[in-house]
Amino acid sequence: MESAITVEGLRKSFGSREVLHGIDFQVQAGTVFGVIGPNGAGKTTTMRCLLDIIRPSAGTLRVLGQDPRHGGPGLRRRIGYLPGELTLEARVTGRRLLDHYEAVSGPVRRGRIDELAERLNLDLDRHTRKLSKGNKQKLGLIQAFMHEPELLVLDEPTSGLDPLVQQEFLAMVQEARDRGQTVFLSSHVLSEVQQAADEVAILRDGRIVTVATVDALRESAVRHLRFAANGITADDAGALLGRVPGVGGVEVLTAGGGVELTAVLEGSIGPLVQALAGLQLTDLVLEEPDLEESVLRLYGNNGNGRRGNGSRRREPQEEGSSHA
Amino acid sequence: MRSPMPLFRRAFVDSWRSTLGWAAGLGAAIALYLPIYPSIGGSTQMQQMINALPPEMTKALNYDQIASGPGYTQATVFGLIGFLLMTIATVSWGAAAVGGDEESGQLELTLAHGVTRVQLVFERALAIVLRVVLLAVLVFVLILALNDSAHLSIDSMHLFGAAVEFAGLALLSGTAALFVGALSGRKSYGLAAGAAVGVLGYVFNAVGRQSPDLDWLLNFSPYHWAYGNSPVANGADWASAGWLWGISAGLVLLSSIALQRRDVGS
Repeated sequence: MESAITVEGLRKSFGSREVLHGIDFQVQAGTVFGVIGPNGAGKTTTMRCLLDIIRPSAGTLRVLGQDPRHGGPGLRRRIGYLPGELTLEARVTGRRLLDHYEAVSGPVRRGRIDELAERLNLDLDRHTRKLSKGNKQKLGLIQAFMHEPELLVLDEPTSGLDPLVQQEFLAMVQEARDRGQTVFLSSHVLSEVQQAADEVAILRDGRIVTVATVDALRESAVRHLRFAANGITADDAGALLGRVPGVGGVEVLTAGGGVELTAVLEGSIGPLVQALAGLQLTDLVLEEPDLEESVLRLYGNNGNGRRGNGSRRREPQEEGSSHA
Repeated sequence: MRSPMPLFRRAFVDSWRSTLGWAAGLGAAIALYLPIYPSIGGSTQMQQMINALPPEMTKALNYDQIASGPGYTQATVFGLIGFLLMTIATVSWGAAAVGGDEESGQLELTLAHGVTRVQLVFERALAIVLRVVLLAVLVFVLILALNDSAHLSIDSMHLFGAAVEFAGLALLSGTAALFVGALSGRKSYGLAAGAAVGVLGYVFNAVGRQSPDLDWLLNFSPYHWAYGNSPVANGADWASAGWLWGISAGLVLLSSIALQRRDVGS
C-alpha cells in the first residue's frame, strides 16, 4: 500500500530545547491514523511540520509523495488541517470565512458546506468571534473537510465537542476513509479515537512509544466484566472464574441469595463464555475493551490505577457482605 | 471557485469598518481646520500672536508658514492632525497584518491552506497600500473642494504632490510595523517599530530645524524628506517621494523574506 505520510528521524528544537527526539512512523493511504499523547508530547509540533508551518531541525518528511517544505500551495490544497488551538476572532460570519478558505483552497462541491454545517448543527450566519469553543471547533472541522482533501490532519479534533457531535465527527472520519481519504488525527485520550482509528502511535515526551493497530491493541486489551448469578456461592463463583485463562482481579460485590462479581479479562473471551454458560446468570456486562488501559499497562505505570482502586474498594464491601 | 488574490480581497473588504472610521476622522479634521483659515491664518492678529510665540515652537509646529493658505494646510492637515491619524492607521494595519494575525493564532490556519507566505505578505501589504491611497485621495478631494470657499489658493498639482508625500510617509511607518511584525511574530513589536518611525521622524524634524548645528538630524527624518520643502506650497520633491515609496516597497519585500524563513506560531 502507498503511504500518505512518511516521517523518518524527525527532530525539532525550539532554541536549545528539543521537543521531538527523532520520530518515525508511516501512515498508509486510505487509513485513519491516530497519534495519542498527553499535552506537550509533541503531537502539535509534528502536525505543524507536516503543514510546513514550522520546519524540522532534522529528519525526512514525505506528505502525499512530496516534501512539505517544497510542496507549496499545491500540496497544501490536497490537505485539510485543523489546528489544535483554533482561534477565530475575525468579525465575519462563519459562511464568509468558509467562502474565503474555499477561494484559497477550493473548489468545494456545491451545497457541501451547508451539508456539513447541518450535520454538525452549526449556524453559519453568526459572527465567528461570538461562537462558543465547540462551535468554533465545528467551523474548523468544516473548513478542513469541505474540499474533500486527500489527507486530513486534525489536531485534537474532538476537543470542545459534545458527545453527540463527537459521534457525528467519527462518522465523518469513517466516511472520509471509505472514500479513500487518509486521516491523521491526534488526541490526548485514546478512547476518543479508538473507534475511528485503524492504527495508533503513542507519543510521550517527543518519542514514539509504540505504533500498533487498534485490532492488535484490542486483542491485548483488558475488558471489564460484571455478572450476577443465582444458585452459586461467592467462593465457588470466584474459583470458577479463577480457572478461566486471562481472568484476574475478581471482586465479589454482593453475596447472599445471588452473587455479583466483577473481574478483568485479558485476551480471548471464548473460555470465559464457556465457563459462564453453566451458571444461572441474571445479569452480564462485558465492557468494550479499554485500549487506553492496556496501552498504559504495557508502557507506563499508571495502568494499574483502576485495578488498584478496585481492590481498595473491595474490602469494605466484603465486610458489608459478611454482616448481611 | 478559486478567484484572484483572495487574501487581498479579504484583508481589504473585511477592514472596511476601520477604513471608513479613519476616513471619517480625516474628513472631520479637514472640515474643522480648513474653513476657519480666513479667520485665523490670514488675519494679521493671528500673525502677531504667532510672532509672539517662541520661534523654536513655531518652527517645531511648522507654524512659521501659517500665514498663507498652502502653508496653513501644510502645517495643520498634512503636518499634524492628518499625519497623526494616518500614521496611527497604517501602523495598526501593518502590525496586525502578520504579527497580530500570528499572535491571535489565525495565521497558522491560513498558511495551512493553498497560499505561499510571500503571497500572503504581498496581498496584505497591497490591501494596506490601497487603503492608504484611498485615504490620501479623500484628503486630496476634500481639500480641493474647500480650496475656494476657504480662500486657500492651493495649486492642485502641488496638492497632488503633497498627497503623494503624505501617503508615502504614512506607508513607511506602516510597512515598518509590517516588517517587524513579520520578523518577530509579535504585534506589539510591530506597533512599537511603526510608531518609532513616525514619532522619531517628527521629532528629528522639529529638533533639526532649530539650528544649523542640528540640521543633520533632518537627514534621518522621513517627515522632513516628505515635507521639508513644503509640498503644498511648492509641489512635491519627487525624489523624496520616490524614497518614501521605495523604502516602503523594500520593507514589504523584507517582510516576506522574514516570514518565509521562520517557524510560525511557535
